[in-house]
Amino acid sequence: MQELLQYLFSGITNGAIYAVIAVGFSMLYSSTELINFAHGEFVMLGALTLVTLWGGLHLPLALAFILTVGIVSGAGFIFERFAVRTVKKPDHIVLVIITVGASIFLRGIGMLIWGKDAYSVPAFSGHQPLDICGATLLPQSIWIMAIVGIMVFGLYYFFSRTLTGKAMRACAISKRAAWITGIPTGKMVLLAFMMSTGMGGVAGAMIAPITMSSYDMGTILGLKGFCAAMLGGIGSLWGAVIGGFLLGIAEAMGVGLISSSLKDAIAFVLLLAILYVRPGGIVNARDVQRF
Amino acid sequence: MNGRENNLKSSLLKIESVSKTFGGVQAAQDISFKVSEGDIVGLIGPNGAGKTTLFNLITGVYTPDSGKIIFEQTEVQGREVLTLVKMGIARTFQNVELFENMTVVENVMVGQHVRTTCGFWGAVLRLPGALKEEKKIRKNALDLLEFVGLESVADRRSSELPFGWQRLLEIARAMASKPKMLLLDEPAAGLNAVETGTLAELLNKIRSQGITLLLVEHDMNLTMEISDRIVVLDQGRLLAHGTPREVQQDEAVMAAYLGKA
Amino acid sequence: MLLRWGKNNIAFMVLFFVVVAIGIWIENQYYLQVLTFIGINSLLALGLNMLMGYAGQISLGHAAFYGLGAYTSAILSVHYNVNPWLALIGAVLTASLIAFIIGIPTLKLSGYYLGMGTLGFGMVVHVLFREWSTLTGGASGFVGIPPLELGPISFLSVRNYFYLVWLIMLANMVICRRLIDSRIGRALRSIHDSEHAAEAVGVDTANLKLMIFVFSAAMSAVAGFLYAHFVSFISPGSFTFLASVRMVTMVVIGGMASIWGALLGASLLTLLPEWLHAFADYEMVVYGAVLMIVMILLPQGLTRGLTEIYERSRK
Repeated sequence: MQELLQYLFSGITNGAIYAVIAVGFSMLYSSTELINFAHGEFVMLGALTLVTLWGGLHLPLALAFILTVGIVSGAGFIFERFAVRTVKKPDHIVLVIITVGASIFLRGIGMLIWGKDAYSVPAFSGHQPLDICGATLLPQSIWIMAIVGIMVFGLYYFFSRTLTGKAMRACAISKRAAWITGIPTGKMVLLAFMMSTGMGGVAGAMIAPITMSSYDMGTILGLKGFCAAMLGGIGSLWGAVIGGFLLGIAEAMGVGLISSSLKDAIAFVLLLAILYVRPGGIVNARDVQRF
Repeated sequence: MNGRENNLKSSLLKIESVSKTFGGVQAAQDISFKVSEGDIVGLIGPNGAGKTTLFNLITGVYTPDSGKIIFEQTEVQGREVLTLVKMGIARTFQNVELFENMTVVENVMVGQHVRTTCGFWGAVLRLPGALKEEKKIRKNALDLLEFVGLESVADRRSSELPFGWQRLLEIARAMASKPKMLLLDEPAAGLNAVETGTLAELLNKIRSQGITLLLVEHDMNLTMEISDRIVVLDQGRLLAHGTPREVQQDEAVMAAYLGKA
Repeated sequence: MLLRWGKNNIAFMVLFFVVVAIGIWIENQYYLQVLTFIGINSLLALGLNMLMGYAGQISLGHAAFYGLGAYTSAILSVHYNVNPWLALIGAVLTASLIAFIIGIPTLKLSGYYLGMGTLGFGMVVHVLFREWSTLTGGASGFVGIPPLELGPISFLSVRNYFYLVWLIMLANMVICRRLIDSRIGRALRSIHDSEHAAEAVGVDTANLKLMIFVFSAAMSAVAGFLYAHFVSFISPGSFTFLASVRMVTMVVIGGMASIWGALLGASLLTLLPEWLHAFADYEMVVYGAVLMIVMILLPQGLTRGLTEIYERSRK
């Protein structure tokens, strides 16, 4: 029982991280119909930037965190302007290859800046693991869940209550119609990219204290986050959250109860399962969905 | 109405009490009529009357919620599109859907796919049977192009053709599967008067080949001129069914088209 | 059409002679080795090109079939002492069977979803290569894969292996050409242009997509076989998501729906890392940048893109 609880805790922690990454994917997809295969690299950038600003330059945590998110969003800005906007033929395959190329490019940049070493940073607050019913929970996990919670509700509010958010949703539903009504679709797409990559940065910054951060950490995280987004229902905010937590828990249970060697396969087996059975994901989203 | 006349020719297609609802809209409500072999039947009605829905039901794109569609004495509602093509039902589209990156003749060659058999090994090993079939396919395609008048552009890319010719190509492609019944979805749309005249001649030529035609059209002149029988739909219901003259004098039809006096 | 047949055959003949000439004249073992790898990669690109370029289906997990070919042959010839040529048959059958099974549900998906499905499949297979150590040697790889020989001819030397690979590649190019010019090829291209219309005309799209999926898997397996017996050591690291991406890149950069495009793309992407060794640390950055730039500026691939530029400059 104690073990199950332990698995659950670690599952929830990882799940929250997957959720944040998944939300970034889904958000971008719902605004632009683009799957950004480079998303994981922005997570990596977030982690390593925090390492440098907080761990290396010893800036105050809050400042370092905010700067990190800003820098990663800035990278997203550059990415959109140079790699996405300029595309001549926005075909699915072409865009996929571009984002894949961007992923390799960013990983190369990561390697140039930070080398091949792995870095670690202390937890945001408190190093003492908490004891809950015999299972341990890191304080960082609570930070992660809190930040995820704030982000999710913030996004919900943004998309349903603010004008900008509604405008972005309009673009997702029909770019042409939105454009005709005077919504600056170009700026909306750019904003979507910056928000999405910014969220990736947040994810990276949050996990830096609990993993070893290195230039190649992004790929598998991105892919798993993507699986989580599909699991919940691509394009859906709640879907991404549900998918993320489900994946995290499924992985933890699988590792604990069956075997740790299959950990990486779990995400993809679930992806295949959901694609075959219910491509709309758990919330049964359909293609361009409301966020 | 003319029950005796109908019974003399065999019924190729029977629609019996077919209904279809989408979301809250009843696109087809209890529609019943017969199509006699060798006839040209015009399907008319105001926009939204359910004509294209009926086409999609007959060609297997949709399955009716209730009712039967009987083709040559066999029930076919709910069957796959592929099966229906094999049985001899072919169609064209309202917005011409050609294979744009292929040449004119290649489009028609693909149309013969369901009547030909060369498979993977035949192609790779260049078996004699495959090579013979390939020659036949090409010859049939060129013959069909001649039939519709497009033989001079056989090797042009299909996307380069002017619109009127693209329509003709689509008809040739549909005929390539040797159908017994050809469904044409607004074949005259976008054509000028001269082109429409050519189309009318072509449709009669097709009929004389023994192919039954069912066409959706908005061009009243064309429809009334060439159709043997007319089916009028309005808001998913069958309004009238008979010869062009009978339909023109039908009160319900006049009310639907012209509004109640 | 007769003229086109002639043109293609001439091109194949020319390639044949170029291959023979290279084999005779080039002494440098390193060059021969690189050219052999280009041949193997070309085979991979060709198979995937049939799927992506002609049938219009995307696969982001094709390295799985490459790996399945390599590992099946390795396991059969080492653990079970099977003659490598028989192991080749085993490799092709295994990959084809798995492609068939996975293809049925996956090809029902379209566009992005198909890409995702194949991605997922590729990752699962990769994990299997890595974790099923008793069978595959796990992460540390599989050693001792025997060299090939056919009667008196030994393929131990790089030169002979170079010939073997390119002969097989040429044969496959001819096979693909024949396929494309046939009823099957036309049906595939029609699916690519408009799956909807193809179905309406009576093309069995599900069956055809599956057929070409299995075919491309079989070709990848042959490439895997050739790879395994060339380098005598394989590891899961060669069959990752990145490897699948590299395959897709070869097809896309070379030019989809073009047999020669596959050759061009494979050559470029095999040579690029070699050239980039000089850049050492900048390798990834340049690789990624090249990918993006080519895709942004010449999305139809280099063969068609450069031909268009050439034609435009002539006007």
